[in-house]
Amino acid sequence: MATVIINGKTSSVKDGTLILDAARDAGVEIPTFCYQADLMGVGSCRMCLVEIEGQKKLQPSCITPVMDGMSIQTETPQILKARQGVLEFFLSNHALDCPVCDKGGECELQDMVYKHGPVEGRYAESKHRFHEKDYILSPVIVKNSNRCVQCLRCVRVCDEVVGRNVLASLGRGHEQEETSFLRSRLDCDHCGNCIEVCPVGCFMRLPYRYKSRPWDLKGTDTICPYCATGCRMVVEERDGEALRARAQIGVGINSETLCARGRFGFDFINDPRRLTTPLVKKFGKLEPATWSEALDFISEKLSGIEGERIGGLASPVLTNEELYSFQKLMRSTLGSPNIDSSTRWDPVVVENYIAASAMTSGGLSVFDAAEADTLFVAGTQLSDENPIVDYIARRISAERGTRIIVASVRDMKLDSSAGLSIRHLPGGLGALMKAAALSLYESKKDKLQGFAGVERFEGLSADVLLGEAGVSSDELAAITKRFETSATVALTAGTDLLRQSCGILALGLLSDVLKALGKEVLILPILDRANQRGAWEMGVLPGLAPGYRTASKRGLGTKEMIEAAAAGGIDAMYVIGEDPVGENPSGVSAFDALSKLSFILVQDTFLTDTAAMADCVLPGAFPAEKDGTFTNQEGRVQAMRRLKAPPGDARAYLAIIASVSGVLSSTTGVCTKTNSMQVFNEIRKEAPAYAGVSLEFNNRKNKLNKLDNREALAGASEGGFTPVAMTSCAPAAEQRGEGEFYLITGNTLFHSGRLSHSSPTLTGLQKGAALELSEADASALGLSSGEEARVQGNDYEVTLPVRLRKGMRDGVVYIPEFFPGVSVERFFTTGVSLPVVKVKKS
Amino acid sequence: MLTDKVREEILKITAKYYNKRSAVMDALMLVQKDCGGNITRGDMEDIADMLEIKPHEVNAVATFYTMYNYAKPVGRYHIQVCRNISCALLEAERVIAHIEDTLGIKTGDTTPDNKFTLSTAECLGSCGTAPMMQINDNYYENLTPDKVDAILKGFE
Ligand code: SF4
Ligand code: SF4
Ligand code: SF4
Ligand code: FES
Ligand code: FES
Repeated sequence: MATVIINGKTSSVKDGTLILDAARDAGVEIPTFCYQADLMGVGSCRMCLVEIEGQKKLQPSCITPVMDGMSIQTETPQILKARQGVLEFFLSNHALDCPVCDKGGECELQDMVYKHGPVEGRYAESKHRFHEKDYILSPVIVKNSNRCVQCLRCVRVCDEVVGRNVLASLGRGHEQEETSFLRSRLDCDHCGNCIEVCPVGCFMRLPYRYKSRPWDLKGTDTICPYCATGCRMVVEERDGEALRARAQIGVGINSETLCARGRFGFDFINDPRRLTTPLVKKFGKLEPATWSEALDFISEKLSGIEGERIGGLASPVLTNEELYSFQKLMRSTLGSPNIDSSTRWDPVVVENYIAASAMTSGGLSVFDAAEADTLFVAGTQLSDENPIVDYIARRISAERGTRIIVASVRDMKLDSSAGLSIRHLPGGLGALMKAAALSLYESKKDKLQGFAGVERFEGLSADVLLGEAGVSSDELAAITKRFETSATVALTAGTDLLRQSCGILALGLLSDVLKALGKEVLILPILDRANQRGAWEMGVLPGLAPGYRTASKRGLGTKEMIEAAAAGGIDAMYVIGEDPVGENPSGVSAFDALSKLSFILVQDTFLTDTAAMADCVLPGAFPAEKDGTFTNQEGRVQAMRRLKAPPGDARAYLAIIASVSGVLSSTTGVCTKTNSMQVFNEIRKEAPAYAGVSLEFNNRKNKLNKLDNREALAGASEGGFTPVAMTSCAPAAEQRGEGEFYLITGNTLFHSGRLSHSSPTLTGLQKGAALELSEADASALGLSSGEEARVQGNDYEVTLPVRLRKGMRDGVVYIPEFFPGVSVERFFTTGVSLPVVKVKKS
Repeated sequence: MLTDKVREEILKITAKYYNKRSAVMDALMLVQKDCGGNITRGDMEDIADMLEIKPHEVNAVATFYTMYNYAKPVGRYHIQVCRNISCALLEAERVIAHIEDTLGIKTGDTTPDNKFTLSTAECLGSCGTAPMMQINDNYYENLTPDKVDAILKGFE
């Protein structure tokens, strides 16, 4: 600890604290430009100068650490004069075109000059102009260098946090310009973090340019609806049109960062094709109806059907309150146990995943995982699927030396921060983790006498496992060595484990061995739908009631419901926000199956393929149009607020569920709550893990930049549950013949599911799907980048343009999930997690 | 495009450093010498490729140091007249004006026969012999208009 005196007041801070941080902790504000928490200090702008007793020259407080006994002044006449000088210097070469600048009104330079600036400038010479017109750097970024203050925040964020490193500072002196290689178009992540950190109007959002002034915008705190990282953001609107999304420094785990989906993908809200009125099928055609007509129709149709013959499917992008109310409506009001939240995952696999990833023991902060001695990133294409977790891992590993191991089939951005990158075979992750567990066990057998579940090692051979994983014994040794020398090991449980159920058992085994060796093991689930964890914790699963309690009666999962529909086992379905028909799950055609039902009720924001064949369609609302909470993958429960009303007659799903329950139940008040806080209070009782959760922090700017609000993490679920045993894990890869490839799938950086395809900006960033394969495979097939290939398998065929990928394993091809016109799911046969497809040049 | 000779030299130099990227300044200098005194976009991309860095990082170095000529084609003889304080006090301006008159070009330009390019430089570290100039790799010191005439004649 060091004792410092700031403006005469004594305080005590940790050794090595920057003067700036010490001052801010003591409540003394020092103006800055180039300083940004979480970025490496450069000390280039000199805005933060302070006086240190005994030193003649003023010192930059943002890069000078305190020393014991230091006496610091922050407001002397000399400092005030220096600040004026710095600002006069900035303005001497500044465009001063505030009236047309997007940043006007929220510009740090404007604010600083207003507060600390000189009254007039003395510089009379001509200014350097970098260019006349703004230039476009990417489909989402437009640049005006004439406004730059050379703080280098853009360059640093792109390199240190995003990890893309595509910006540099070109030239020197007053000609210094932060931009791309020769100002050419960027081929980057288009995340817009360079825009967010720029204190002035140099980096600007292209879709937002000249659309509004900040004071005309009305904003609200909400949560990104894409992946389950749970980034906090503010969405802003003007005249009913959502215009901008931005992150705030010090708010949420993401602080000032977002990925392209979060920052630019909110514009689906403005889509003119959205549903604005209830629709009821009359004479075979969906016709607009009033709410009371629609509700009467539902009551008439549904009340005649036995509860168990109704299926319920709700999207994992609904709020906890909506999901909770929906399961209550299904289970209590209608008396149906058939309820699920995904068209992709098998509920039994999900239960085992929940158990193996220790979700029942409560929330785990992503920062704890990133600060472990070793972080094993597996089962996820993290850099594309959950970009902000990638940022956090990169930043923290650089700061604290976390050792990162990336185990994946394809290369990813995080490889550059990983000391070790393993490219395993598709479907081989389970084998790799088992091999690691086995090798740790064998080498420490004496220490592990009495290891519970030792029978799990029976019949395992390292050589066979390594063969299945496609990993060398040297690579395995490198992994286990890192594990052995770490006191804390964090393992990610990505969505690939839900596709490859062998991996779940292996994850359990590996974590048990590590624990037996006395290591602290942290398992961080990595999920790709905003409220997937919430959906499970709210009991939207056929076997689990809210709070991970075993359901009193086990119902059907999505796939079984569709099979039951085809076989006449159920009569009706109630679907919210999901599109089983459009999303084409494997097995029986969902369209044929659902056609057999006597009643289909759909709540959605768009007329999906499922909605188009429904008997009644009710128009719903997006996040930003409703209140509620999401639980992110860490188990962090966060509130979001309503910005504007949904279009036309559309209503929040919670209100709709309440109305439907209202007309269906004779006993009023069963689950007719429409206020999300009331429902949340009920959730606190039903799911005790949520009892102590604080939603407090969520709407407030956290001054001390402490991003990790642990009170928001869910607690442990009492009792827990025993998952239904997986009879066998999915069979290993089929043998692959000449011209055949293993097919893998997943999200891309710009698209994850149906929602992103309704965003014009994201569609502009990536329109169609492409087939990714290694350079060697492409050349063997005579294919080069951009040419088209025909992919066949499982009686399905698509033609796709080809994209070469350097870090891809040979023999593997990748097609993204959920692209319009490409039903990659159709290549998958139930029970076979790793399909083989034929690829030909077309 | 880098010639094979330059590639070889760059490779040799990278061996001297702890990591490849550190050789970027030497690489730029070698390329500039080899390619008629001017660095192009393609050169920067090639250097980035060889040193396993990004083209914009080469771009940043090439534009930071004034002695790299990026996208500034120069003639066979590149005249750089110092105009910093010592030289300025000893009438560097007169030397510059004299060269402009003699060659019939303005500072920053190249003669139509592509023989000379005239530019100015900041202190070249030879203040004791001011005013001075550098032509390609050589210094010419204690300049007077007559001396300049003789020097330029020497390049006929
Ligand atoms: S958009 Fe993101 S990746 Fe692209 S330059 Fe800006 S910070 Fe870098
Ligand atoms: S462009 Fe913006 S962020 Fe980048 S150096 Fe200039 S002022 Fe700073
Ligand atoms: S990382 Fe996930 S939650 Fe965060 S902005 Fe991107 S898609 Fe949204
Ligand atoms: S904020 Fe300290 S030098 Fe810029
Ligand atoms: S000022 Fe000309 S050489 Fe130093």
